[in-house]
Amino acid sequence: MNSFHFNGSHYRAWQEPGSDRVRVDDAIVSVQPDGAHRFVAGLQGRSERLHAVADGDRVWVHWRGRAWALERVDPTRSSSVGGAAAAGIAHAPMPGVMVSLLVMQGQPVAEGDALLVIESMKLQTTICAAIDGVVAELPCAVGQSFQRGAVLAHLQAVEPAP
Amino acid sequence: MTPIRKLFIANRAEIALRIVRTARRMGIATVLPWHAADSHGPALQEADEKVQLFGEPPVSAFLDIAGLVRAARDTGCDAVHPGYGFLSENAAFARAVVEAGLVFVGPPADAIELMGDKISARRFAQEQGVPVTPSADEADDPVGFAERARAVGLPLLIKGAAGGGGKGMQIVREPAKLPDAIAVARRESERYFGDGRLFAERFVERPRHIEVQVFGDAHGHVVHLGERECSIQRRFQKLVEETPAPGLDPGLRERICSAAVTLAKAAGYVNAGTVECIVSPQREFFFLEMNTRLQVEHPVTEMVTGLDLVEWQLRVAAGEPLPLKQDQLRWHGHAIEARLLAEDADAGFVPDTGRVRLLRWPQGPGLRIDGGVTSGAPVTADFDSMLAKLVAHGASRELAISRLQQALAETVLLGVTVNADYLGRVLRHPAFAQGETDTGFLERHREALLPAPLRDDERRLLLAVAARALPDPSDRPAPQPYVAMGAWRN
Repeated sequence: MNSFHFNGSHYRAWQEPGSDRVRVDDAIVSVQPDGAHRFVAGLQGRSERLHAVADGDRVWVHWRGRAWALERVDPTRSSSVGGAAAAGIAHAPMPGVMVSLLVMQGQPVAEGDALLVIESMKLQTTICAAIDGVVAELPCAVGQSFQRGAVLAHLQAVEPAP
Repeated sequence: MTPIRKLFIANRAEIALRIVRTARRMGIATVLPWHAADSHGPALQEADEKVQLFGEPPVSAFLDIAGLVRAARDTGCDAVHPGYGFLSENAAFARAVVEAGLVFVGPPADAIELMGDKISARRFAQEQGVPVTPSADEADDPVGFAERARAVGLPLLIKGAAGGGGKGMQIVREPAKLPDAIAVARRESERYFGDGRLFAERFVERPRHIEVQVFGDAHGHVVHLGERECSIQRRFQKLVEETPAPGLDPGLRERICSAAVTLAKAAGYVNAGTVECIVSPQREFFFLEMNTRLQVEHPVTEMVTGLDLVEWQLRVAAGEPLPLKQDQLRWHGHAIEARLLAEDADAGFVPDTGRVRLLRWPQGPGLRIDGGVTSGAPVTADFDSMLAKLVAHGASRELAISRLQQALAETVLLGVTVNADYLGRVLRHPAFAQGETDTGFLERHREALLPAPLRDDERRLLLAVAARALPDPSDRPAPQPYVAMGAWRN
């Protein structure tokens, strides 16, 4: 059985051993390999041709000109960061290069304050603070490149006054 | 006459491959530079020789004038083709190539300087009687520039005087937003072009972007190869280009093309160039800028004229006269190009990176693929996000569009998010079919261009195939609780 993260939800798919039947939700979908990375699958009584390729924990599926990335979820792993702590971490929305840092470590910032400017493939984007807090860490220096999802700034949330 | 025997291509990816193919057909050997961050391209497999470049970030290797000229000389080349982007519109590069005793496959450095700078090019166009939009250019005093920019009238377009490709452009519709727009444009202009001088002009609402391919030789001849419409743009970058421009009346086409030839002739222009114009809904046209190089979208012109523009470039660079005169040129049918980019068009055109895991190019009549990636190639943020150009030709616009739609649907490129389906949705939009194109098209039809949500059975189809595409589960023992669950319910 496989668990997938897809379009913001979790789904499970289970291939019956020794058959072309894959159980998804309460339904059965017949899927037959049809050459390298090609599959024929049933949809409403018709045969649909799809391409699919696994890439680590991600499966790319191509159907009728459109492609989707389905993330396989390992049920033994789970994220432990949540809430305000997670909101204080500014992740790179895309791969790119750091253009300028507008704040310094230790500086207090308010929600919406501009923190830094990144550039990716001819596009400059300003990253703003998601919470009120103090700049705890700026792991990426000006001129340094980063991948999508990299931590660009870490804000320590300010405890609301009692 | 300076016959070219060995050509150094100061570029990479699809345009490098495209140049290699023409050079080989003409019996010219090719040398291609490469960087360790970009060693998978099909062009590298096809070139006769390769030279490794070094530099960090990798793009700097392709901007290193001295390093590239040295590499060209060391490999015994007698000419340099700059492709597009990188140093293709850099007069200092053109000059350095010539001073090293090599032929630069492009216009003379003086023509690049005159026409490549937006300010001097506009002034020159005005002098030649070619219409331009009201504007203000940058003086030494940025405060004074803001005042004069405001005086031109809103809406305003602020951009780098030395720029191109939409980099650093800002639209201002409210007076209060002007200072910020100037600051951003200056920062980007300095960063990309090393020149922070700005330029402000009246922003024409609902403009069509129409450009003319011109060609000059060293014997004083200049011809045009017709126009291209490139109005389908996101963030000032072209996504879809076609020729002829749909619905452009013959009188206006003739006036635009003649103006382009006039301009190129007056500039003493040699080799391939493109005169870019905007056409207003009231059928006025204004000179925008000249690109002093081969354009990304040149294949559509090649498909309707049956010519090879890189061959013309190499012949002209060698000192030959243009192969054809204006009255010998013919145009057949309609051609349209779509740029396949590594980006998530539905999430605001956010670039994506990854590795190409599966690649299947479409085939069919009237189809041309200029691709720069191979299966297994990493797609990084080090270089431009364009992976390929799909170009379709047909007797009619409808046939060309329909062929391109099919080609996009049959393009399987998995491992990085690409915009193939989005491009297909653009081509299927009724307004596009009607030729109702202007540079605001994608933004105006943003909602209609979103993908249809998946039905439950379609979602199950994808999940089932994804499960099947994973490595054989029998290689991994099933976890005990799942086996025990048997026919589970979700």
